[in-house]
Amino acid sequence: MATRRLYYEDAEIGDDIGPVQRVVSGAQVAEFSRVWRAESEPSRFSDAEVARREGLPGPMVPGAMSVAMLSQLVLGWSTTVTLKKIDVIFRQVVVHGVALTLKGAVTDKGLVDGEPQVECDLTIENSEGATLVIGKATVRLPNRG
Amino acid sequence: MAEDPDIKFDHSLLGVAHSLGSFSVTREMIVAFAIATGETDPAFTGEGAATESGHDDIVAPPTFCNAFLNIASRPDIRLEFGDTGFFAGQAIDCLASVRPGDTLLATTKLQDVYAKTGRSGKMVFVAWETTFTNQRSETVALVRDTHVRRNKRT
Amino acid sequence: MLLDLHTHSVSSDDSRATAEQYAKWAGVLRRKGYTIDGFVLTEHRKFDFDADYSSLAEENGLLILKGSELDTNCGHFLVYGVTEALCSHIDFADVSLDAVELIRAAEEHGGVAVPAHPGRFGIGLYDFIENGADFSALGLIERLNGSDRSGEQERAEELIARFGYAGTGGSDAHLSSALGACMTRFQGTIEGDEDLVRELRAGNVHAVHLQETKLDPSAHSGQPLSNLP
Repeated sequence: MATRRLYYEDAEIGDDIGPVQRVVSGAQVAEFSRVWRAESEPSRFSDAEVARREGLPGPMVPGAMSVAMLSQLVLGWSTTVTLKKIDVIFRQVVVHGVALTLKGAVTDKGLVDGEPQVECDLTIENSEGATLVIGKATVRLPNRG
Repeated sequence: MAEDPDIKFDHSLLGVAHSLGSFSVTREMIVAFAIATGETDPAFTGEGAATESGHDDIVAPPTFCNAFLNIASRPDIRLEFGDTGFFAGQAIDCLASVRPGDTLLATTKLQDVYAKTGRSGKMVFVAWETTFTNQRSETVALVRDTHVRRNKRT
Repeated sequence: MLLDLHTHSVSSDDSRATAEQYAKWAGVLRRKGYTIDGFVLTEHRKFDFDADYSSLAEENGLLILKGSELDTNCGHFLVYGVTEALCSHIDFADVSLDAVELIRAAEEHGGVAVPAHPGRFGIGLYDFIENGADFSALGLIERLNGSDRSGEQERAEELIARFGYAGTGGSDAHLSSALGACMTRFQGTIEGDEDLVRELRAGNVHAVHLQETKLDPSAHSGQPLSNLP
């Protein structure tokens, strides 16, 4: 959860966001699957054997959870952030129980229709440094004063 | 994207709007989604006092519309390719807050079907755009999902 | 001169970086002490003749060129020096181009086609050579790719050791903050496509990681670390 207050004037291209460490457990995926109305039978999201038969390295974390985690990374950057857009591409499967590093970097800033906006790149990496998910977020940061 | 004669699917679905239904948003639903995704901000989980944003009650996290989106709910485009599929990507335009008591209408359209090659060989991508509007006819979110079909790795 | 020979802008379906954002990120890299002189936008399965980055390049002190990354029956190929004549001959949108024909056509029409990420599992030239494809006459491959996964770099090195290929470097960036992860060092000055194609065809290239381009603040010449004895 965010604790600092950043303003548009404070953000510089090249600034880091995070990093934040996360591990998604099978229990969390099960809880999300209930909310997501996923099938109740063993699936690639819940069962190692089903995942293996589908050629996966392990039971998967649903993509929607990765999107949610990246939005949390962005919103956790500052209490003043309003997320306007998040855009994510899944490059490799995210599996249960793996240490994940979520991080971002400010890549652009400017006024869009008079609104102060900042863009940032986002990534999720595993403990081997492999990039699993990439993305981009557009946020509104208020002007100081 | 260029037409690929090897990609067979129901082209009549391209650009045609389909209703995914209406969804009543409850406080419990928002809290469940927030907690299930590891959210800790009380603006979304409802714990503690009113938040920085000044709202009296909670608001849904920005990706909350995913609670209603599931590939099973979209029309079958009868794509004849590959023996497995995955979520390839998603873009969400967060246009307005979603709050307890809202009713969301979701409409989806098939935007594109295209092929490319990669580590998994030839892959076919299916792109959908889903619009969520509330009971005041305000568009609260625009969600673009891309799903990929390919052959299982041996 | 250090150029990132493999980047994708929003013109490629899976990139989220604009050319302008790459230019800004080049500024970030320079402020951090790295060296980058330019980049080539190698868009997936297309070439945008209308895109003009000359002002952007001049404003940012960069060389910005355009190329393509095409899908063939032997993996992906980076194509530099793309001309209208080449585009008339080759359907850039075809995901199963004949690689040998692409190489020949690029050569004939003033360009050069370079195997991208040759060590990549499932789509790299390495696998096609292992299955009998003959590319022994090739002079150049992409040696360093910023998106390579574990084991893939080693396969590219094996091809270089086996066939004596020269090797380029490119980030394969799809986000602006990935620019420059790998680059290609040219001894001479590259001012445009003609220079680039000439130097690539001659194999006058050296692939580097971003870290190797960091300027040594203690050296009077301000040379990159990799230039120092």
